[in-house]
Amino acid sequence: PRPDVDALTPGTHLLFAQSGRIEHVPLGGYDMKKNDAKPVLHLPEKVIIGVAYDCVEKTVYWTEITSPSISKANIEGGEPTSVISSGLESPEGIAIDHLGRTMFWTDSAKDRIEVASLDGSNRRVLINTDLVNPRAIIADPSNGNLYWADWNRKAPKIETSYMDGSNRRVLVRDNLGLPNGLTYDPHSSQLCWADAGTHKMECMDPGRGSRSTVLERIQYPFGMTAFGKNIYYTDWQRDAVIAVDRYASRESDEFQPQKRTRLYGIATAYAQCPAGQNYCSGN
Amino acid sequence: NSLIGTPGDCQPCPCPGQTSCVQIAETGQVVCTNCPAGQTGMRCQRCEDGYYGDPLGLSGAAQPCVRCNCNGNVDFNAVGICDHVTGRCLKCLGHTEGDHCERCQQGFYGNALDQTVGQKSCSCSSAGTSGHVNECHPQTGNCHCLSHVTGRDCSYCEVGFFNLQPGIGCEICKCNPIGSSS
Repeated sequence: PRPDVDALTPGTHLLFAQSGRIEHVPLGGYDMKKNDAKPVLHLPEKVIIGVAYDCVEKTVYWTEITSPSISKANIEGGEPTSVISSGLESPEGIAIDHLGRTMFWTDSAKDRIEVASLDGSNRRVLINTDLVNPRAIIADPSNGNLYWADWNRKAPKIETSYMDGSNRRVLVRDNLGLPNGLTYDPHSSQLCWADAGTHKMECMDPGRGSRSTVLERIQYPFGMTAFGKNIYYTDWQRDAVIAVDRYASRESDEFQPQKRTRLYGIATAYAQCPAGQNYCSGN
Repeated sequence: NSLIGTPGDCQPCPCPGQTSCVQIAETGQVVCTNCPAGQTGMRCQRCEDGYYGDPLGLSGAAQPCVRCNCNGNVDFNAVGICDHVTGRCLKCLGHTEGDHCERCQQGFYGNALDQTVGQKSCSCSSAGTSGHVNECHPQTGNCHCLSHVTGRDCSYCEVGFFNLQPGIGCEICKCNPIGSSS
């Protein structure tokens, strides 16, 4: 059965997964235009987990665990296309390097991180050791860094490596519970995470290591995405997208879709690509 | 399609409880958009992540969507923990296995239904077992011992026996009853 894409209007949007669909909320400045929220993609037979956005081709990519696969669709009205459908077991987080034209994803059952070109070719395993429950993954293409979180109950951690998998290091291992969500804001150089175990949202500068708490007593964060001064995260208990003002350290808004069910990954669909280039962009 | 101008342009949504639906323009396909709690799919026929059943009875008697039952041996923070129709658990933890994570994996023993106990490795003595070091009773953990070998893991000789040898077992002590203290 062929699902469908509703074209999005220009501007910046939030894209997030709810079972069987990818919804969107337009942003007006940093405010969620909740009245204009609507499903952008109906995938009624699927359980979508991770969502990522390629600002160059205006395409949304997602991971799906029902028939484990990675697919994409142009948000201006393209058909969903399968990109990778073999060798996956439980693909979860997905990240796009819009400069190098590659995608990275975690598989929590195969316990590995893989990379491939955006069309699914040139696929290879990047990391396959010391992973237990890898979930969120983020690329910072301008600096060539990759970040991911592993919510392993016995030893949760946030790690980083270069985008070729080399120079792997643990960034955070203390006072973590279930770090489900991860996002990186290149303007402020802040890597932020949302933890369903400690119920905190925290940030750090991965270069300097300084760590600070943005918000405490959050309920059950799953996915998160940064846009300017705000962070938006999905919550399994509130079945909502919550906007947090990073600098004021307070929740500023909430969007709860009409259908009450778990929300998974969330991504910012930028109106324009962030400026930047990297060594791979000419490949 | 209400733009054609004939009676019956608008059809009721084929969704449970008269819930809403959308018709996809290009394909004409109708997708239910507000399925009852726990249900999803084109016609609300399948259960959401974390639930299983057959709410519309597509393959037999209708079974409402209920939470995956994995005997506490799955993590609630995981996704895709059971098959949405059969309920077969897909992410058993702590060396458990089975459709509902109800027994220990090969090579482990304990009580899969009691997380406080957990699963322990059989770790049978390679010298004293007649089977494989990973083969033991799933509950007691008793390994298959060679003759006159004892202990859960078959690691030592029975009283009155000595000299545990791999593949053979223990020999009887040939002590003179007059000169022995036991």
